[in-house]
Amino acid sequence: MEKILVLLHTMDGQIPQAGLETLGLAKSLGGGFDLAVLGADASSAAQQISGGAAKVFAVEGEAFAVSRYATDAAACEALIRASGAPLILAPDTMRFHRALPGVAERLSAAIDTHVVSLSSDGAIERWYYRQRIEASLKRTQRPWILLVEPGSQPPAAPQPGAAPEILSVSCDTRTTVEGFSTPLAGEQTIRPEAPLLFVAGAGWTKKQKDGAVHVEEAADLILDFVRRTQCSLGSSKSLVDLSGEGQAVLPFLTHLHQVGQTGSSPRHKKGLATCCHGEEPHVVGWRFIQERRAINLDPNCGWVRGKADVVYVADAFEVLRELLKLL
Amino acid sequence: MTAMHDELTDQPQTQPLDADIVCTGFGPAVAGFLWTLTQGLQKPEMAGVESKAMPGLPPQIVCYERADDISFGVSGVVTRARAIRASIPNLDPAEIPLAARVRNEKLIYLLDPLGVTRRPAWMRLADQLCRAFSGVLGVAHEGMALPWVPEFLHKRDGFIFSLGQFNQWVGQQVMMSGLAQIWPATPVAGPLIEEDRVAGVRLAADGSEVRAALTVVGDGPVGAVGRQLDEHFGMPAGHRRDEWAVGMKMVIDLPENCTLEEGTVWHTIGFPEPEIFGFLYVHPGRIASAGIFVPSWMDSPVRTSYRYLQHFIQHPYLWRHLRGGRLRSWGAKSLLESGRRGEPFLAGDGYARIGECSGSTNVLTGSGVDEAWLTGTQLAEAVLELLREGKPFTGENLENTYVARRRASWLEHESQAAEKARNGFQWGLLPGFLGMALAGLTGGRLSLPRPREDRHPKKLTDYYAGRLSRSEIERARQRAEAESRPLHDILMDMCGWPPVEYDGQLLVSHQDALLMGGKVQAPADFPDHVVFRSPQLCLQCEAHLCVEICSGEAIRISPENPAGVPAFDREKCVHCGACLWNCPVSNIEFCAAPGGLHSAEN
Amino acid sequence: MPYQIIVCGGLAPDPLQTLEPVFDPAKPSLKNELMLPAVFDPWAAHALYEAGHLAKQHPGSLVRVVSLAPKAKLQQVMMTVAQKLPFELVALDGPGGGFTDAAAVAAALADAIAAMQDLDRSRLLLFGGWESATRGAGVVMQRAAERLGITEQFLAVDELSVDADGSLLVKERIEGGRHQISRCSSPPAMLAWATGNLPEPPNHPQTGMANMRVIMPALQKAKPVTLEPSAEFLRTALPSAIRQTRVVKDVPAAEIAQEIAEWIRQ
Repeated sequence: MEKILVLLHTMDGQIPQAGLETLGLAKSLGGGFDLAVLGADASSAAQQISGGAAKVFAVEGEAFAVSRYATDAAACEALIRASGAPLILAPDTMRFHRALPGVAERLSAAIDTHVVSLSSDGAIERWYYRQRIEASLKRTQRPWILLVEPGSQPPAAPQPGAAPEILSVSCDTRTTVEGFSTPLAGEQTIRPEAPLLFVAGAGWTKKQKDGAVHVEEAADLILDFVRRTQCSLGSSKSLVDLSGEGQAVLPFLTHLHQVGQTGSSPRHKKGLATCCHGEEPHVVGWRFIQERRAINLDPNCGWVRGKADVVYVADAFEVLRELLKLL
Repeated sequence: MTAMHDELTDQPQTQPLDADIVCTGFGPAVAGFLWTLTQGLQKPEMAGVESKAMPGLPPQIVCYERADDISFGVSGVVTRARAIRASIPNLDPAEIPLAARVRNEKLIYLLDPLGVTRRPAWMRLADQLCRAFSGVLGVAHEGMALPWVPEFLHKRDGFIFSLGQFNQWVGQQVMMSGLAQIWPATPVAGPLIEEDRVAGVRLAADGSEVRAALTVVGDGPVGAVGRQLDEHFGMPAGHRRDEWAVGMKMVIDLPENCTLEEGTVWHTIGFPEPEIFGFLYVHPGRIASAGIFVPSWMDSPVRTSYRYLQHFIQHPYLWRHLRGGRLRSWGAKSLLESGRRGEPFLAGDGYARIGECSGSTNVLTGSGVDEAWLTGTQLAEAVLELLREGKPFTGENLENTYVARRRASWLEHESQAAEKARNGFQWGLLPGFLGMALAGLTGGRLSLPRPREDRHPKKLTDYYAGRLSRSEIERARQRAEAESRPLHDILMDMCGWPPVEYDGQLLVSHQDALLMGGKVQAPADFPDHVVFRSPQLCLQCEAHLCVEICSGEAIRISPENPAGVPAFDREKCVHCGACLWNCPVSNIEFCAAPGGLHSAEN
Repeated sequence: MPYQIIVCGGLAPDPLQTLEPVFDPAKPSLKNELMLPAVFDPWAAHALYEAGHLAKQHPGSLVRVVSLAPKAKLQQVMMTVAQKLPFELVALDGPGGGFTDAAAVAAALADAIAAMQDLDRSRLLLFGGWESATRGAGVVMQRAAERLGITEQFLAVDELSVDADGSLLVKERIEGGRHQISRCSSPPAMLAWATGNLPEPPNHPQTGMANMRVIMPALQKAKPVTLEPSAEFLRTALPSAIRQTRVVKDVPAAEIAQEIAEWIRQ
């Protein structure tokens, strides 16, 4: 196994779970590794986990406390050059996904993202075509940067070690970080760490048995369920699209909630799909959901064809009303 | 460049567009038209021809196709491809996905292994004879391949195509010439008619007008533009569009151990009902198209396609090859089988009709694609001639150039031979087959006359006389309404048709075929394109044939609608138009809209 | 200020189609790739709509699409995309698909952009999708931008607004369903878009026809591009996740609710 550089960044001054997973992967491969950490409180964070690392580096300071391309790229470039390791493992966080491809270009390096496994002979696995095809590949080009998909590896237990060598990096940039915003709805309904994902499909806004549309009740039932279970809320593409076309809408749903197709691929343990058919483009987003159940009036919907564990052929409005009484 | 963008950013919605030639529909007819036209325009003698709509530019030629992509067409195509090969002499099937040369062809009589079809006595006798002399007659797996394929039916020097792939291939080549634009997902609502002159078309999306000196109408048997022209100009004396069929097909991944060879062509008769002709074509890559035609002269008041198609593929003669296969694609369309008798006025001031909507489909030979292509090339040659000579697209000029070419060609000759070929089916099955053979073998010189009145669907009790009692039929109707299921399903069950056992791969529910196979879609921002004009008429309907024949189960009896008036679900419609010609009182308005099939393999 | 918005995007198979891989160690592909109907990559399409929206707000702006794809397929896809908004096209005729090398694609795009005579970096915004629906790597835009010397880069953008002083306010998706808001004082900048918030623009035939006057010649002039493979593939496969679905029918809603509640609590 070649020498690895584990390249991490802090989040709120700590190494996030995804970082510990990357470290765990490097350690499991057995070859030697360096550690580099970027961000606020990088050096103290590095020291808490640097046990076993051959060399330890850090870049910290006000300029590097925020997530931003130019400064992150300069820092990562410096850290990678300082280590000289041919293989770089980093967590596939938004911060690194933004910065590291450009760094690869600067270093004439190869880069692969959403890597779900790495073997000791240097073969990686990743997904193509929106998780519809999996592949395994190798590269001879070095350096080679691998962004490790969060949730795909067991995390390392933190093991303190040597203090890092702090690198001094300077960089000009025209970008400043102004702040953060919560979802437009004003209510947090996306919870990536929740054990349950509740997906609402277009069927909620269609005509029901009595020939009328019941969007307000649909909205109430769904939001009530989400509040009581503190689950994460997802949506099918068709339901999100409807909001752009003057149709009866569920106002708290945005593109951020979309699962599958151009949306996200969440990793909750359980998923409950309601009023959506279960067609392929949506279901690809369910790839990492372990236990799947669906409520749909159509006994021939896509979920029945091996895509869910249980399908309840029933009226979602009725089931949800009953469910809310129990929760 | 920036100036252009400034203009376009606030484009008013309904400003008319100007083109020189506008085509409606991109099927084999318009494909042949644009192929020939764009090739012709590149020749030196056409160098001076300029656009009249936009002087200084070459002629502006646009085509509007309703479907979301030009590859979403449907046809079970086996064709002699005479006209296609005349246009494309070096046609190599290897360049077109799913295309194959015809290698062996058979006409097969399928016996009834279940004993449930509505065979007349003579056919039941034929089955018994077949079984009795199976060795001598070469009967195996409940089927008998006839020792020869009648000359009028043969396709031996031809090709098997996926029409979607063929259309896509031609369309790409046409557009790469830079001389024509083919716009998908742009349905045309109707023609612009000004004092009996066609001045262009009106688009369905926003009513915007596209004006052109020539409108080429190739929008198929149920296209809105063609039908509105027929309404306005009427039909030539004695001509009617009264004979139709629904063609429905599956494209199947054959099982690994399948021994069927690429280029195999089977034409079948006899099963699942004697009125239903079937086909099986084998494409490269171990893929087959299997389908059936359900004709308008089948007098079942609950005639339907999908379930019959499922029983068809399970017939032992086919099932021994298809079992274990996987459904790749599915589709359906209406066929206009009125032939010469359904020919409208082929040209007029500012317009010309080509393809199936102009009655070019030949029901004797069972071919339409090549004929449609030919009419397209004939019109293109006429247009090139008129453009070269600077003559306007008047009815007279088009008659002298396009119609004259058509009348002088093999198309005319063969369509005359075919004109009376199917008359016999209006009397009954035996006269039908005899009449077809007669016409076929004598080149149309001899044929049976047509009865005064065409065959119409019977009343339920008459159709099922001797099989189901009045009370059983009534119970079936009640169940159909209560369970929101099609009536044909329940009646077929009652008549002994075995239930279809779904395997989730090839034998799937109708809805699954729509979604897995046809990948049917409908955009959200269009109104319903199938509308029931007068609810009163629906209430008087005994068996709602529109519900039974709908290829996508888009029309169904719905408890929430005023009792008896069917409900329409846009998201299931494949735009086959079967509802249009199956309603006995023409109570259905069928408009142009985008959406429908999203599979490129039919 | 009027912007030069260059939008990079390739083609992806229409999302409804069934995909099957065909293995090859250098160049895996999809079964029947030629047959599959294609669409403009969905996220790149969002980027394009956002570009159109921005251009409308800043008169004099230019939207130019740079696309590397098989020429004939690209032409076909353009017939749908070109109806949505006014734009120019620079076409590169080359292979598409998820198994092509991202670095090679980025280099080809960047070089085509660098070669543009009228390129004005002080007004340049490079747009694209944050990842493709094919390769799904999310690296092409960053590499291309870096190659062009653009070091203000944003990933997973959902919103862009221009402040009174001309600075760009960018909202990027970050973990936890939140957005980070950054301010970039001026172009050049690269924005790799997530879905944004704009609906798909409706089709306008007039726009389409006008676009074709520029797009059709561009396609005919498309420069051929070869992409060297750089990875060695060991395996491609369809994921094998078929479950045995238990269908619960004709059971009262209250009982179903009971079962679901227990399942949630487990």
